[in-house]
Amino acid sequence: MLVPASLDELLASVAADTRADLIAGGTDLMVEVNFGRRSPESVISVALVPELKSWYRSGDEVILNAALTYSEMMRPPLCELLPALAQAARTVGSPQIRNAGTIGGNLATASPAGDTLPVLAALEATVVLESAEGGRAVPVGEFIVSVKRTSLAPGEIIRSVRVPARRAAQEFLKVGTRNAMVIAVCSVALVADAERREVHLGLGSVGPVPLRAPRAEELATSLFDWDEGVPRASEKELARLAELASEAARPIDDHRSTARYRRHAVGVCARRAFERARLPDATGRRSVTP
Amino acid sequence: MMEISIDLNGAGRKVEVGLDESLLRLLRRLGCLSVRYGSSTGETGAAAVLVDGDLVSAEVMLAVQADGHRVETLESLDPGTAELHPIQQAFVETGALQGGYSAGAMVLATKALLERRPDPSDEEIRDALSGILDRETGYVKVLEAVRRAAALLHGEKPPPLAPLVLEPLTTSPTTRRGDLDGEESVSPAAPRLVPSVDVPPMAVVGKPERKVDALRMVKGHEAFADDVELRGLLHAKILRSPYAHARIRSIDDSAARALPGVHAVLHYGNTARVKYASGGQSWPNPKPYDQVSFDDKVRHVGDRVAAVAAESPEIAEEACRLLKVTYDVLPPVLSAKEAIAPGAPVVHDEPDTEGIYDASRNLSHHIEGQTVPDDELAEAFARADRIFEETFSVQAVQHCPIEPHVAVGWLDGDERLVIRTSNQVPFHTRRMLSPLLALPVKSIRVIKPRIGGGFGSKQEMVIEDVVGHLVLATGRPVRLELTREEEFVSTRRRHSQTLTFRTGVSSDGKLVAQDLSVLADTGAYGTHGFTVQSLTGQRGLSQYNCPAKRFRCDVAYTNRPVAGAFRGYGAPQALFALESHLDDIARQLGIDPVELRRRNWVRSGDPLDIVPRLGERGAVEEVRPEDIPRIGSCGLAECVAQGLVAIGWERRGDPSWSRPPGRPSIRRGIGMGLAMQGSGIPLVDMGAASIKMNDDGSFNLLAGAADIGTGADTALAQIAAEVLGVTPADIVVYSGDTDVTPFDVGAYASSTTYVSGMAVKKAAEAARERIVARAARLLGVEDACEIHLRDHHAVGADGRSISLEKIALNALHTEDQEQIIGTASHVSPDSPAPFAAQFAEVEVDVETGQVTVEKVVTAVDCGVAVNPLGASGQVEGAVAQALGYALTEELVLDDHGRPLNARFGPYWILRSDDAPPQEVILVETMEPSGPFGAKSVGEVAIDSVAPAVRNAVLDATGVAIDELPLTPERVWRALQTSSAGDADV
Repeated sequence: MLVPASLDELLASVAADTRADLIAGGTDLMVEVNFGRRSPESVISVALVPELKSWYRSGDEVILNAALTYSEMMRPPLCELLPALAQAARTVGSPQIRNAGTIGGNLATASPAGDTLPVLAALEATVVLESAEGGRAVPVGEFIVSVKRTSLAPGEIIRSVRVPARRAAQEFLKVGTRNAMVIAVCSVALVADAERREVHLGLGSVGPVPLRAPRAEELATSLFDWDEGVPRASEKELARLAELASEAARPIDDHRSTARYRRHAVGVCARRAFERARLPDATGRRSVTP
Repeated sequence: MMEISIDLNGAGRKVEVGLDESLLRLLRRLGCLSVRYGSSTGETGAAAVLVDGDLVSAEVMLAVQADGHRVETLESLDPGTAELHPIQQAFVETGALQGGYSAGAMVLATKALLERRPDPSDEEIRDALSGILDRETGYVKVLEAVRRAAALLHGEKPPPLAPLVLEPLTTSPTTRRGDLDGEESVSPAAPRLVPSVDVPPMAVVGKPERKVDALRMVKGHEAFADDVELRGLLHAKILRSPYAHARIRSIDDSAARALPGVHAVLHYGNTARVKYASGGQSWPNPKPYDQVSFDDKVRHVGDRVAAVAAESPEIAEEACRLLKVTYDVLPPVLSAKEAIAPGAPVVHDEPDTEGIYDASRNLSHHIEGQTVPDDELAEAFARADRIFEETFSVQAVQHCPIEPHVAVGWLDGDERLVIRTSNQVPFHTRRMLSPLLALPVKSIRVIKPRIGGGFGSKQEMVIEDVVGHLVLATGRPVRLELTREEEFVSTRRRHSQTLTFRTGVSSDGKLVAQDLSVLADTGAYGTHGFTVQSLTGQRGLSQYNCPAKRFRCDVAYTNRPVAGAFRGYGAPQALFALESHLDDIARQLGIDPVELRRRNWVRSGDPLDIVPRLGERGAVEEVRPEDIPRIGSCGLAECVAQGLVAIGWERRGDPSWSRPPGRPSIRRGIGMGLAMQGSGIPLVDMGAASIKMNDDGSFNLLAGAADIGTGADTALAQIAAEVLGVTPADIVVYSGDTDVTPFDVGAYASSTTYVSGMAVKKAAEAARERIVARAARLLGVEDACEIHLRDHHAVGADGRSISLEKIALNALHTEDQEQIIGTASHVSPDSPAPFAAQFAEVEVDVETGQVTVEKVVTAVDCGVAVNPLGASGQVEGAVAQALGYALTEELVLDDHGRPLNARFGPYWILRSDDAPPQEVILVETMEPSGPFGAKSVGEVAIDSVAPAVRNAVLDATGVAIDELPLTPERVWRALQTSSAGDADV
């Protein structure tokens, strides 16, 4: 195992051994190692690479470095800038996993159930990749190509994730939530961007990759009262929104639930996320959501 | 290898670590025993430690990742004195530790939380502990421990947790017993206690007591099977079958044997074929004897193929991979229904298994029992005003002890085999090992140390024979610890069943005929198949009076993981069906479900007439009236009355409550279920104990009983202390070691307090007799009967006294010397029933089908609760386990019999952040046949949580669901399919 102490060293190590696994928190990789599915012989730890830690603001964007942990996503002021991401992080495993697991790891594993992924999809995040040869930026929707597969090229690492930090309503919902003894079967992230006056929906666990729901988004955008910062929809319109979100899902049957239920549940979550959405006022304060 | 520097518990260390070594393994290697294996995925939290002050899971962190960091384990709190850190103190004082396997992680999580948030909210506490799974406490007392720790760290002195005394509701209010006076707590973790006037005042029994083994757990001392270090230790791994059903044509072990570091490779080709049944039961074990240590056929995915002992677990694993096994893959049978259909593949086609009911039809057992002949039953149904028939199905769930099965074996200096193992039945295991290993019983010693949860999965010889074979083959110490995945598929699980109840009811709501037929799935082997299903019949047909009852059951072999003993032992299945069925009947008759039950439930003196027809030894041929046991002490009516008040039953049917305004998708409901269990197996279960007196007037209690985290050792110490006039701290308990302690059947059938406790009481009384005789002589009192033992003294009628210490010194050193010792055994002809009334309040989200349990109330009659803190902890833990049965847990296999969710997360057990509030009410009764009035409490509270939840969903939505678990999808589908008029949605 190599433990490079800078980004340059890390990129050199990755270039030298393009088949090596990167380890940050270890919450995914060590499971593979413990199950004997991977050998930790060629593992490169990013633990000591300062450039991959923490986050910062850059114009109207927030740059989340790859080794940002779930726990860090939940702390102010980041949780106020990106409340849906904080909510998603809160639903992750347990304090131990949240203290160790990172946004870069969540992206690299690219599990359909990855908790932050629907949020990144709804935020239209950009994944910044870097190699010894240079860097490139990829929209999150192109970064994750299928179940547990990404467009990361040999010798490349995830450097950071760029997300907009504009005035927006943000929600994240799961069936089921924590505190309710329910195994999560789907999740929905909603971003109502006040500047672009667009509602985006990211759907999790209902397809091989995190999905968007363009027709539902179009309807939600038209139903949102951008001046008051609240949704305005009849019961019938809400039902239509749920239906359109369900139609966007591409779920499968598995031991946790059937595709039919997932499709239904993702619609319910989308509708509820929309109903709860409240734009913060100019000072960033949000009215209380039910 | 690589050298790393870590700051471990305040001391800088430079250590060589393997590149693939987990932090967990490093810390245990360095002697931090409090960091323990729970899974390979970080989800149990048993291996949680603090790295730079943050809680992380040491099993999913490489040791090299800790390079340059500060690591803290529980051992960091050990000041090297008897003093406890306030957090440790809080965990001990609240009864928050049962098995204590994850005590270190919990204390560290608390420390990390309180350093950040000195006054945490309950939500913050629940969140902070949410990654540390506890299968034992239901988290009620754990949360209290954190609150208490916060108070202690603020310098407050919170009062001890004492029961809150309630007035009885069904008998006239009585003056409260004087010995219960004192500080009362209204903490949710304190049990409520409804005292009985029949219970005399006592000094120790009935008082909350800290666990006698608490220090060991809370300080991370040597406690569990794996906490020993042995020179030359080898590590074992078992090669598991990838197929549900296959014949092994050959095993080529040459490459495995040639691997450096491999010391033994065992399989059917080199191990004697000795048939046995793995269930830990009294001799002779119930048939069939359908297992051998290594067979030439595999019958479920995860079945044993071969075992390897090697210098490291990695080498052993590599050797398993190098074994070339040629299988003839056979078609599997994956459900009980398929298994008994004509033409199904035969699971047990071997010629040498005795005692299968019908191997060709995959029937391991067939059980029948009825209180009247068939024609009388038919007449009873013919006379009924209404007949109801309903079919229920219940799933396979796993025990999930956080400590997996683990055993370490070695040859002692006399070359006797010693096995230190996480096992509930050390004496049965010793006897059962003997023929398999071709060693006489006298050459085997089985030691049961502290156990991190068993729940029945360790009432079975699952790994000890493998360890024994490998020790004998190598002459070296051998350690075998199952992984979490093996724990799920290769140990035991609860029997899944399909149950059909047919019930005849008269117009006035009396049961007139009950017919229960069951199809059960025992998996690949029979083990507890007969006894569990017999108990399904007993429990399904006992708690309501009915003049005509019949039970029929087929137990089928399948190519699924093996079913076995599991807390409740057939009762949770039966009572899910029965208590759900009764609610549906009540609804259709328009009778209140409580009232329907009241018209039928058993009372003191009522016969348990199905019991002798479905006994442990099989049906009694001719049942004489004296063979029919009768209900003795019974607090059921009081339990129901107390529970109704505590849950707020009157809110049922109030639309302003059941349809909360502003939450259009929510429906609320309340449901209930009743339960009864036994206390030991009458005339079968035997416990024995001996008590010897030491120089200072203290005592050693040597008990065969197996404390598996239940607090049994503490209750036994209390019983002994009550007899001997000392405190439990004066009783040094050592239990469950076949070389040292007298015999006991072990921890099962809710027998320990009732049976083993009585043995302890009798042994203590025998010792007391010697003490009193000597005291009489020393005090010059003629009649020894006038002397009583209290407060460490023998006190005469005239008030003169002599200390126990003086008596002990006199006996051991001065005159007419003797070792004051008492030894006794106990077998009971009775199995008095503990009762429980269980209530659940739920919210159902009718759009998603999600059921959220808001509160669970359990009012339990366990006789006299010897340790109310321990008894309520048992109830809370059983409820938590039952909530998993009700809502989330199910071991799912694919079409090839491979497990799909053999991992925490996909298999969801209750966590601290989804544990609902609980209220436990101990309704005291005086059981004359039990020690100081005690019955049992270990199992009864797991029985009727699922039907209470299910009936609450029925109350909320009008939809009756007859299948578990109540996942959102299942509930949503039921809501979809119910007709609009029927479902109140």
